[in-house]
Amino acid sequence: MKKAASVLRYVILTLGALIMILPFFWMLSTSLKTQPETVQIPPVWIPKQLQWGNYVEAFKAAPFARYFVNSVIVTTVTTVGQLFTSILAAFAFSKLHFWGRNLVFMIFLGTMMIPGEMLIIPNFVTLSNMHLVNTYGALILPWLASFFTVFTLRQTFNSVPDQTYYAAKIDGASDWRFLWHILVPMSKSTITAVTVLQVIGSWNAFMWPLIVTNDENMRTLPVGLQAFTTDAGTNYALLMAASTFVIIPMVIVYIFLQKYIIAGISNSGLKG
Amino acid sequence: MQVTFKDVTLSYDGKRDILKHLNFVIQEGSLVCLLGPSGGGKSTTLMLISGLLAPTHGQIYFGDTDVTKEDALGRKVGMVFQNYALYPHLTVQKNIEFPLKMAGLSRADRAKKAHELAALVHVDDQLDKKPGELSGGQQQRVAIARALAKEPSILLLDEPLSNLDARLRIEMREEIRRIQRETGVTTVFVTHDQDEAMHISDQIMVLHDGHIQQFSTPKTLYASPDNLFVAQFIGEPVINSVPASALSHDLAGVVSDDILSRAQTAGIRPEALTLPQRALDPLTTLHGKVIEFDQFGRESTAKLDYNDLQLISTEMGQLPHNTQELDFTLEKKGFFLFDADGKRIFGGDDHAE
Repeated sequence: MKKAASVLRYVILTLGALIMILPFFWMLSTSLKTQPETVQIPPVWIPKQLQWGNYVEAFKAAPFARYFVNSVIVTTVTTVGQLFTSILAAFAFSKLHFWGRNLVFMIFLGTMMIPGEMLIIPNFVTLSNMHLVNTYGALILPWLASFFTVFTLRQTFNSVPDQTYYAAKIDGASDWRFLWHILVPMSKSTITAVTVLQVIGSWNAFMWPLIVTNDENMRTLPVGLQAFTTDAGTNYALLMAASTFVIIPMVIVYIFLQKYIIAGISNSGLKG
Repeated sequence: MQVTFKDVTLSYDGKRDILKHLNFVIQEGSLVCLLGPSGGGKSTTLMLISGLLAPTHGQIYFGDTDVTKEDALGRKVGMVFQNYALYPHLTVQKNIEFPLKMAGLSRADRAKKAHELAALVHVDDQLDKKPGELSGGQQQRVAIARALAKEPSILLLDEPLSNLDARLRIEMREEIRRIQRETGVTTVFVTHDQDEAMHISDQIMVLHDGHIQQFSTPKTLYASPDNLFVAQFIGEPVINSVPASALSHDLAGVVSDDILSRAQTAGIRPEALTLPQRALDPLTTLHGKVIEFDQFGRESTAKLDYNDLQLISTEMGQLPHNTQELDFTLEKKGFFLFDADGKRIFGGDDHAE
């Protein structure tokens, strides 16, 4: 009985894993196909001859080096900036007592209910009034504050007892010191988790960079992938080859930090 | 450091006073317990001494200096919290060194001091561990060492033993007493456990309802409680408290009519009810029935029925089996009368200090 249950569990998990891996496999497989093979029916799972040349061709098809640099800059600045503002805000909401704290927090919480798509047009108008369209500013500025990150960090900071804050005060630590030397190290796993989520989100962002940039030099990688879609149709083999090298950095990040991502999401604080 | 409160009042919301006109002096070098039920204001009083809270009215003095406006750092207090509040990501040594680092001491001086303190509290073999790897008692010791690191003017402990199991609690309270004696630091200790307070304090301040009910030595607190609350709060088993009117017949002639007429409640310690042949300083003799008698080892508890009131005695060890009715002695020591406001008007000693 026990064995049957265990077998069943493995079957279900294996099926789940296969479903998750299938799109990635399809991407890798397509990236090594010839143009006719990509649309052939029945589908070709493994190409007859691996077309490694697709990668070279895809890389040459658009200024990917430039896109890569843009993506790195935008992702880094967005993540670092957002983390900085969020840590400060979360600290204030969690440990400082000021007039109207709960009201402000509630209002911020309410903004989470507004769908991101609704903000695209107002944000675009604001940035174009600031003459920032087609600059890094446009790609970065709207993402320097994220209430989701503030909220997540506040929950973690709340799990650190107020006594620890008082103890640090008595020990002679300023708020600034307490925040960076005690609170942030104590919340390492959550901070790592939100960082990784932000890096992935920022790296994969498509809609916003597409809207605020039309200059080739300002494009990020996901937007750059459009180079393979023309009026004449889409070159799937080259698109998938380019997609592969776009996602590789994220896969590497995930492999190295998966322990923290899981811990951060299921995290609940400290042993007493 | 001598600590003086002058007419200190605290209110969180400006409407209800948590502490009402507190006046007291804590002598330099003594160990004082703040004792009372939860919500009585003892932790709040500790926070006021620490400077983490500022009083709504009144002044606080350390020695001759008015420190009312100073924060915790300015007052140079050391504090140990109920959950220890150690920094989990730092080693034991780094934890103890933290206040010294904030004070700008050099690395070598910090390490030297940390080693001395770790030796004092007996954690010198745990310096490289993280707090999470230590037992509760050891974490407590580290927290004390950290609080002592900057040579505080006063050491404050907020229910430091309540997270420990019973055996460790007794061991640690002796340790706290030893460390306090060795360092001579003025210490204020918050607890709701009267047994703990009675064992380690030089003086106990009983706080209830935002007022100091009594501030005296443990002995006085037990032998001469100022009021009914203190009498009921201190002592195990709890003092027998019965309407004074039930005793008036037996007390006529023993206690003056004037006092008897004002008396509302009588308090009788369980050891103040003895067999006549064992009596030391009898006040009067009462007559009653035995409801229940339990003997375990050296201790015994007898439940007596007196005028339809139940009294507990711990001094009936010699009681012959099958005794149904008996005469028993009410001792002078351990018998009190309280008036309608709960104030003691008979018994105890007003010059015991």
